[in-house]
Amino acid sequence: MADSNPSVESKPIILDVLPDFTISGQRCAGRIQQHIDLLLLALEALELGASEQMLATVKHFNLEQIIKNRIALWRLRSTNPWRRAYTRDSLTIEQAKALVIIANYRVKPLTVQIRQLLLAEQQMHEKGLPVTCHFLLAEYLDQFRAHFRSRMNSRRAKVSVYLSSEDQLNELALLLLKQLLFCTGTAGMQRFWISLFDGEVA
Amino acid sequence: MNIQRQYSLPNCTLILEGLSNGVSPSDGRDTRPVLSILVNVECRFLGIPEKLQGGSSFLENLVKTVSEYAQGYLSGIPHPVHTQAEEDKVNLETLPDQHLHRLTWYPSFQTDNPVEMTLTTVQLFDLVESIDQFFADSQTLPDLTLQLQPLSRRYRPPDEPLAQRAIPATLGIASLVVAAFALFFIPSPEIKEPEPDLSAPTTETTPPEDTSSDSPPQ
Repeated sequence: MADSNPSVESKPIILDVLPDFTISGQRCAGRIQQHIDLLLLALEALELGASEQMLATVKHFNLEQIIKNRIALWRLRSTNPWRRAYTRDSLTIEQAKALVIIANYRVKPLTVQIRQLLLAEQQMHEKGLPVTCHFLLAEYLDQFRAHFRSRMNSRRAKVSVYLSSEDQLNELALLLLKQLLFCTGTAGMQRFWISLFDGEVA
Repeated sequence: MNIQRQYSLPNCTLILEGLSNGVSPSDGRDTRPVLSILVNVECRFLGIPEKLQGGSSFLENLVKTVSEYAQGYLSGIPHPVHTQAEEDKVNLETLPDQHLHRLTWYPSFQTDNPVEMTLTTVQLFDLVESIDQFFADSQTLPDLTLQLQPLSRRYRPPDEPLAQRAIPATLGIASLVVAAFALFFIPSPEIKEPEPDLSAPTTETTPPEDTSSDSPPQ
């Protein structure tokens, strides 16, 4: 059974939809890992049970050889330097691609919801009201802040700034929501993936 | 034959008009003729009376500017748009603190007044999406493809501003100056050459005086 041998097992074809970039050592920088994890965090704030859905997506795209189980997914996400459980590991390009593909697949069904939230944000700005006055937005922002508080390391300087100011954390949540909207587009996955490497390639 | 292609999103509609050069479509499933010669482009936003309109140079400028701006928006590092044809220039910039984007078009036939419109992020996304749908459509200008490249390291802004990075070095130099100034007033200790003390007993070991008593009996 040559196919069951991991050394000859080919990587999932879906990874080829995203281009490779030459960065040093075929490993991702901390900034990329942080960005991917935060985007997934925003996704979790939008949808209840998102982590279960992510695991289902792993199976759907046959990405099990990269993300074997729930713990492997958690370990990959803990490469975000802001996390309490920061592992000091770095993602390989394949692992980063797998996470971006999962995020992109999960965000597509949420397009309408994201648009509604962003329209609400715009309306609140036009009326001069704080964004938390809108009940749908408030729900998303509450969820995001709760996830951020429970998982990020408050001893990190940048994290402590966010934790001390609710407005700044709301701003971050809304920025991630806008980035999620761009991920829903026809070329959204490619756009997001390539933008991760801005300022990283030679 | 005049061909019209329309890419409609809730807030933005991109309409391309052109001609086919008679080449039959390469893909057998898609029976639409290939739009290969562009005549006119029109871009309209819901709720904005002005519309953007132009020819192929306008389309080229529009897609390049919008695509690069979207990449900069996603990464947080603004993309410079280097090459742009002189006529029908399109510019996009972020309005500070308002979560809005200003699109400016300098039409080639109305040199006096550029067209300005303010877009929300959702409207901007719809514009990007209509352009991406046009790129994904193999039957419309197949020679044009979406080309995205990440920015190189030299465009990356420093993690901390220069003023903040200079603080440790400035503090170090300042404290060195203060220390040097303070130490200047402290008299330097006089150096005393140690004088050799001749009166001191020599440390030579003298042979014991009563060696005779200890001498073995002869």
